Amino acid sequence: MAEVELRNLRKDWDTATAVDDVSIKIENGEFLAILGPSGCGKSTTLFMLAGVYLPTSGDIMFDGARVNDVEARLRNVGIVFQSYALYPNMSVLQNILFPTRFQKTDDAQARAHEMAELVQITDLLGRRPSELSGGQQQRVALARALIKRPNLLLLDEPLSNLDATLRLSMRAEIRRITRELGVTTILVTHDQLEATTMADRVMCMNKGRIEQVGSAADLYLRPDTLFVAGFIGSPPINLIPPDRDVLSLPDRCHTLGLRPEALRVSEVGMPATVLSVEPMGREAMMTVDTPLGDLRFIEATAQPKYRPRDLLRLTFDNADTILFDAKGQRIPEAHATLKETAYA
Amino acid sequence: MAQIDWDQLAAQSRRHRLIKNSCLILFLTLVSVPVILPFFWVVVISFSARTGGVESAILWRACAVLVPAVLAYGVAHLTLPRIAHRLLAGAGILGLTALGLWLSVGAELHLNNYRFLINANLIEDIRGAGTVGGQFPWVWTAFGNSLLVALCSTVMKVTVATLAGYYISRFQFRGRNGFLQGLLIIEVFHPWMLTIPIFLVIYWVGLLNTLAGPILVLTAIGLPFFIFIMKGFFDAVPWDIEMSAMADGATRRQAFHMVVLPQVRPGLIAVGVLGFITGWEEYVFVTALRTGNSYWVMSTYLYYVAEDVMGVDYGLVAAVSVFYMLPSLVLYLACQRYLTQMKLGGIKG
Repeated sequence: MAEVELRNLRKDWDTATAVDDVSIKIENGEFLAILGPSGCGKSTTLFMLAGVYLPTSGDIMFDGARVNDVEARLRNVGIVFQSYALYPNMSVLQNILFPTRFQKTDDAQARAHEMAELVQITDLLGRRPSELSGGQQQRVALARALIKRPNLLLLDEPLSNLDATLRLSMRAEIRRITRELGVTTILVTHDQLEATTMADRVMCMNKGRIEQVGSAADLYLRPDTLFVAGFIGSPPINLIPPDRDVLSLPDRCHTLGLRPEALRVSEVGMPATVLSVEPMGREAMMTVDTPLGDLRFIEATAQPKYRPRDLLRLTFDNADTILFDAKGQRIPEAHATLKETAYA
Repeated sequence: MAQIDWDQLAAQSRRHRLIKNSCLILFLTLVSVPVILPFFWVVVISFSARTGGVESAILWRACAVLVPAVLAYGVAHLTLPRIAHRLLAGAGILGLTALGLWLSVGAELHLNNYRFLINANLIEDIRGAGTVGGQFPWVWTAFGNSLLVALCSTVMKVTVATLAGYYISRFQFRGRNGFLQGLLIIEVFHPWMLTIPIFLVIYWVGLLNTLAGPILVLTAIGLPFFIFIMKGFFDAVPWDIEMSAMADGATRRQAFHMVVLPQVRPGLIAVGVLGFITGWEEYVFVTALRTGNSYWVMSTYLYYVAEDVMGVDYGLVAAVSVFYMLPSLVLYLACQRYLTQMKLGGIKG
């Protein structure tokens, strides 16, 4: 178990900068998710932590000691790859035992069985990886990553090859196991749901830079940047250039963010025409034409009441508006208010 | 909507399938005849020819049994849908064929042509000791030399091609693309074009008239192709697995041995078999790199038997041919499923 710190970490490839000035401190036993679109540098960061890539500059610290130059095999880091990367020529048990072949371990067999029990694959130990389902392979990969009691557990998109139901149960499962062991864990994912449900803190990255670090609620309710606002939330937030005829807001506001569920139907409000209705199961997503422009709006009902071309009136709480300046930074403690002219 | 007569459609489909399969089997049988017949002929001659003459009548009598047998199996294959029945019919036809062959040509068969296997002084016995003066070796000497050439060059080819293929597949280095293209360009030129320069090089380094000469030359000539094949196999092994092994505590070399190498085993076998067969059947360079009869291998032995000594004893020539063919054939049959997995790696990779 270790406390991990990145200081001004940077990685340049021949043609591009993959990771640019990333600094973060991860507490002992914490579960951090690195979230971002593909190509944002999250996997590069992960592989630098593992020791597969060498950073161009900056420091990687484990428990306060610089480990930049320590080889991958000596860092005592467990990795679960997206492809699971099980060794096809070995049985499940041999796969789990593989890391112990390089360490002095007296109780390797006992530990392997303990790990198999933890991830619930005790009846599969004799099989080959090719005879396992995706979820079972995932569990084997997890057991193999954990058997050497790693300082740090790295998960690289571990759930993206699983089907939706399995993903849901594995999410809880991985969370349970990491809690039980108290291991410091870093999860890399492009799936916001995965990040927000599993992690204590989420670090959102874009183009090699950190956009924001915080809890799931921080990122959702108080996104620091336009990118975070647009990336987090499904269906996505409404980002509109404010029309000052119908809105009163600070002068430097350049973009107005309004979550689809912040809008609600009311007696008094701006007029809206329904353009389309998409039932999504528990709720329905509608696109409506308003004085602010076309907005996404969520109606919290399984049985939609409105149909295209219906007229309704919409309003929102001023506190739910999020304002951004011309650079895409959030303007703290500032909100927008609808003017009377909008009601016409 | 009109009533569809499913039974009629099913009958039609069955008929189409039967015609298609019959045509296919007939076609495949016909194209395989020119390939199989010479081999069959050589085998028949080696067991039947008596001093000098070739009894073609034996071949025709054997064919008179075999052709109906093949046709009968074709019909059985088409008409019997169950595999167990087919196997049973096949075994029955095989038994009948063996019986037919025994009855038609059995009396003509003998092993006299294979006497070269146990007679160390074959030529002296035929021609008299004075003529060739003990230069001509026992077949097992040539066999041993051929084995040595084939095995040594195979081991070197497999070792170098594996390490080079791995490096090219995994590492970026200056001139990598040029190197890969160079490998391909070498394949454009036939190695025989290089016979004279190779002879000179071997002469200057003093390996003329030693088996080391052909071993090294064969290794060098075979390598570009084998490196390409091994690169293709390594390209197919995912990076993740290697990274995972290294994160699990293995050094790069351990990861290579324990995780990567087992996955290119089909490639190692394919390259090994091909390398062995090319070494086993080599004639041009083993002849070019010796002056006089300093060493004998199977190919030069066969040539000598066929051309220099017994221009007319086809029985003996055929028997030596069969003996020469056997190791390649066995090896090929045992490993052919690995050979079909070969693929060439691209330049980019």
